[in-house]
Amino acid sequence: MIPSISLGETEGPPGRLLYKGAEADVFLGTWAGIPAVYKIRKKMEYRLDTLDSVLRTQRTIHEANMLASAKAAGVEAPFVYFLSPGRATLVMEYIAGTRMKDAIADGETRETTGLFRKLGSSVARLHGAGIMHGDLTTANVIVRSGSLVFLDFGLSVHSTRVEDHAVDMRLIKETITGAHAPVAGVAIEALFEGYREVSGDEGAKSVLRQLKAIERRGRYARVE
Amino acid sequence: MRQHVVGIESTAHTFSASVVDSEGRILSNSKNVYVPPEGSGIHPFEASKSHLAAAPAVLREALEEAGIDRGEISAVCYSMGPGLGPCLRVGAVVARTLAASLSRPLVPVNHAVGHIELGCMLTRTRDPVVLLVSGGHTMVIAYSTGRWRVLGETLDLTLGQLLDQFGRHSGLSSPCGASIETAASRSSAYLPLPYSVKGNDVSLSGMLTEAKRLLDNGNGFEDVCFSIQETSFAMIVEVTERALAFTGKGELMIVGGVAANRRLSQMMTTMSARHSARYSSVPLEYSGDCGAQIAWTGYLAFKSGVRVPVADSTVLQSWRLDSVDIPWRN
Repeated sequence: MIPSISLGETEGPPGRLLYKGAEADVFLGTWAGIPAVYKIRKKMEYRLDTLDSVLRTQRTIHEANMLASAKAAGVEAPFVYFLSPGRATLVMEYIAGTRMKDAIADGETRETTGLFRKLGSSVARLHGAGIMHGDLTTANVIVRSGSLVFLDFGLSVHSTRVEDHAVDMRLIKETITGAHAPVAGVAIEALFEGYREVSGDEGAKSVLRQLKAIERRGRYARVE
Repeated sequence: MRQHVVGIESTAHTFSASVVDSEGRILSNSKNVYVPPEGSGIHPFEASKSHLAAAPAVLREALEEAGIDRGEISAVCYSMGPGLGPCLRVGAVVARTLAASLSRPLVPVNHAVGHIELGCMLTRTRDPVVLLVSGGHTMVIAYSTGRWRVLGETLDLTLGQLLDQFGRHSGLSSPCGASIETAASRSSAYLPLPYSVKGNDVSLSGMLTEAKRLLDNGNGFEDVCFSIQETSFAMIVEVTERALAFTGKGELMIVGGVAANRRLSQMMTTMSARHSARYSSVPLEYSGDCGAQIAWTGYLAFKSGVRVPVADSTVLQSWRLDSVDIPWRN
């Protein structure tokens, strides 16, 4: 049964600020008596009002749908408890763990390689179900007792196009070389290994081929 | 002892020569800008002819204005890339000639790194997230372990190309940024355009197509300009904000030709305040292409031992900044 609670009759934050992201503020509060995360897409003052409200509402509704699709594809993601399009607010399960970004050591370790292999496998599972995450950085994945939980589906789309899947992989690669440079070599290798384990040789190969094509399109790129 | 270096820039429409000293004083920054005919963009060969014709006077002016003896020059730095081949070659020839005639080391500089390092020096920024927006680049960058790393970028057109190509479609001549900004400031009628943020990256080509179509279908030029600015800038600011939140850095800097746009700067200011980040914009005179960016960055490289024998010196049309080692930041 859906709890008969309305969102925030009272003003003020719904709990403790967990994270101030680029897109939303994330609070830890409670929902029907259990710990819950409030993801609030605040109005972006720099953005034109009309554009801003469309984006915030769309992404919030979309994210709730896609979280459910991801779970159906066998990828771990938080349960959605409540959705308020008007307030661009999503209330969902609190995932206790470490952001993958912070779980990665600066040196090459078996744990780090293992995490990237798992990341590759889970992304392949999403792609197999026709989901492009659209925002795959190591800040948007939580490590909970060794397994990966995916967050932030606001930019995701239903797509079976190899191009879109390759864009996903490109973003992870960009995050790895940009933010985890010391382990980039092994991380990228493990990522694709994990991807191949789920999608098979052919699937992995076509995504890799498309990824190279995208990189070649990039500014001043020289791709061998 | 104070040292002086010369920097030669010639990647695109600007030929420029500059002298800076080891304390970061810019003693001269002469330039000549090639202006293409109305309605068309840079023709690389025409631009290189313009550079070749302007080079002797620009160089002479830079050296005279700096008021130093030629014997006081410690190194000659040049923009090795990325950029337009014919244009780059002019700068390389001038730099090689000067280096050989003075018997001084020749230092190759990456143009994009040049924008960033000069910006950091001028705005006293230490470790920023950088938004580089120009005709050649639209990139979000931050330094990490030995290199400037790309955290987000355009997947197709740059912001400068979007503005220029739309401007030329409407009959303006390149660069069109300033005219579009003025036109946009006269409108507040928003026409929806594709908002394409893909993770940390943006795609602008769909917006160009749609903006041209809107104009051709009879919508007002000013309204389309307003809508292009509002949509594309919001996308760029969004991905910059992502990088800022992701890296947790406390400084944000904007540089490149499009940094001159006041609306973009205003949006960036608002966004950085949300993250309590110190925002700086590189002064107009130095945010576009100039010799000083090559001279200053060349000095940093020279100090770290970077140089190339004249016989082996070359130009690279494609040379991503994340492939350049940055020894002076270690």
